[in-house]
Amino acid sequence: MTTHDRLDMTAGLPWCVAAWLLGVGLYGVATSRNYVHLVACLTVVQSATYVVLLCVGYRWGAGPPIFYAHPPGTPAVDPVVQALVLTDIVVGATVSALLLAMCVQLHKRKGTLDPERLRPMRQ
Amino acid sequence: MMSILAPLPVVLPLSIAALLLIFAHLWPARVPDAIATLTALATAAICVLMLQRVATPFTYWFGGWQPANGLTLGIDFVIDRFGAGFGLLVSILFAATFVFAWGYFESVRAHFHVLMLLFMAGMLGFSLTHDLFNMFVWFEVMGVAGFALTGYRLEASALEGGLNFTVMNGIGGYLMLCGIGLIYARAGALDFTALSRAIAVHQGDPVVAAAFCLVVTALLIKAAVVPFQFWLSDAHAVAPSPVSVIFSGSMVSIAIYGIARLYWQVFSADAAIAPIFHRLLLAAGTASTLVGGIMCARQRHVKRLLAFSTISHVGIMILGVALLSADGTAAMMTYLIGHGLVKGALFMTAGILLALCGGIDEIGLRGHGKSIWPAGLAMTTGGLLLAGAPVGIMDAGTHMLDAAASRAGEAWVIAVLFFGSALTGGAMLRVTGRVFLGLGPMQGEETHAPTEQEDERSSRPLWLMLAPCCGLLLLAVAGGETISHVMNQAVPAFINPAQPAPSQAFPKAPHPLVPWLATSLALAIAAWDLSRQYMPRRLRRSADTLMRTFRPLEAAHSGLIGDYVGWLVLGLGIFAAALALG
Repeated sequence: MTTHDRLDMTAGLPWCVAAWLLGVGLYGVATSRNYVHLVACLTVVQSATYVVLLCVGYRWGAGPPIFYAHPPGTPAVDPVVQALVLTDIVVGATVSALLLAMCVQLHKRKGTLDPERLRPMRQ
Repeated sequence: MMSILAPLPVVLPLSIAALLLIFAHLWPARVPDAIATLTALATAAICVLMLQRVATPFTYWFGGWQPANGLTLGIDFVIDRFGAGFGLLVSILFAATFVFAWGYFESVRAHFHVLMLLFMAGMLGFSLTHDLFNMFVWFEVMGVAGFALTGYRLEASALEGGLNFTVMNGIGGYLMLCGIGLIYARAGALDFTALSRAIAVHQGDPVVAAAFCLVVTALLIKAAVVPFQFWLSDAHAVAPSPVSVIFSGSMVSIAIYGIARLYWQVFSADAAIAPIFHRLLLAAGTASTLVGGIMCARQRHVKRLLAFSTISHVGIMILGVALLSADGTAAMMTYLIGHGLVKGALFMTAGILLALCGGIDEIGLRGHGKSIWPAGLAMTTGGLLLAGAPVGIMDAGTHMLDAAASRAGEAWVIAVLFFGSALTGGAMLRVTGRVFLGLGPMQGEETHAPTEQEDERSSRPLWLMLAPCCGLLLLAVAGGETISHVMNQAVPAFINPAQPAPSQAFPKAPHPLVPWLATSLALAIAAWDLSRQYMPRRLRRSADTLMRTFRPLEAAHSGLIGDYVGWLVLGLGIFAAALALG
């Protein structure tokens, strides 16, 4: 595997997209006035990780890493990062589900989801 | 033998958690308590066995996937004394917590125990793994279990604190994954050994530096180091007290252990990183120690006060890592173990206040603790240990750190340590004096408690809650010499066999008076706060003016997630800029 020049083989575009998603997602989280919106922004931050990982493993002109129809040795994209992305999706789903469940409970108790009006430990 | 033991610390709690989830509703209510306690004790025994057997690190490849032809595909655990020692601390804390929480969580299907066992498995996996992505997985396992446990009581304040905790640590996880992606792009591997070999080839590579920045930032968020510390005081203050024991005792410090492990076993291969990392960590550690200490002294909510003291002590541990030397690392590890035991015990005493006095506000509870004076003794012991009393593991760690700092030419670190211990210990002793002795009345302040009325189930007798607390304190007092000796022996295998081993002698204080000075300053701080009304007006007014200068610091801990994310981005920016500019 010529892992060393993997970065140089891919164009810069996916990296720019990932950086943009990370930045815009963090901006959304920082300025959000509603926790459901905030959770959505958090998933935008997470999609930056998908783009980074897929871009790392991508190889021009290669097929999917499934050797059912092709003989082993056919050029294929890196299966390791695809496994990482799968794990990432599971983690992301868990965190979002937990956050949204907390939002539901909080809304039941306080009747609002505005971070400005919900502060733990107001002094 | 070792190849049987190696995966057990993770496999055992995970399988017991699954079994509890399936069968717990068929069993009497106390059975899950007993099973969970026994599991934690069994894990502790396994860690002790491993500690005895690993003179040199032992590598365990899951499923026998050993590296072949220079290509590493498998995932491995590397057991060394540091990892096993940390695992032992975690197991002991969990066992003590399960006893402390005996009968506290009456839930269907033992959800509390299942989450706690998952939490424990996550921490043990994190401390033993030798694969970067596997590390991320354990990081998230303990994260998610921690998020759920924070909001477990489903009260408004617990949910608000839990949300801030989840969002900040969620962002941390995503940053870490981005970093892992970058480093994989360069190295084509995820195993620590293979990564380190690849990094050694790419000296001064910006992609490696960027990956380092992202991964370490994620761990600094988990470790609650300034400027990433804001979530901690919200989450630890509102989580159920048995959960706070684990949070402050081991979840925060595990990230510091992780930073040390990643630096020594992976990123130290790139020589360009060391000088910048050294300066950054020194600055962050100093800031954490002082900010945590000052904020700690200003709190009246006892659990929030303890949370800020954790931030301060985390700063001290970061200073140990920052020295980037063998003896600094051994000192950090010793201090970490001592702090975990003491802070766990102190959160238990806070839990006793919540359960038996029905409150957690220091001023509201003035004099209410007289009937449970044994808990006051435990709290005093803990406070004195925090303040640097010259006995026990924390004291040994302090001396080792002092010695390591002077040897590295950074003797000013001793002063930072001194103020951190005095401020946090002083605040703790003040609480003890006010709650258990009824000193220091504050007229008209009783009603201004910072949170809604809080209490925890008072179903348990005092002795049952106090026993695990005293056990932890006993370990913290008695273990000084043993732990510092084991850590000194363990450090060469952890960092780099080429480094010279630190001296085996039991460390002495820089001057025999220094530990007494820190303790006296802590006592003086406590005495000043408790006897304010007898002090001359002029003196009182100038002290108030001094305290007012710290008000912006208080205001920065606004509880607003937007502000916290802003600080996070700022911290990340500083880190990245420092690495980019050298």
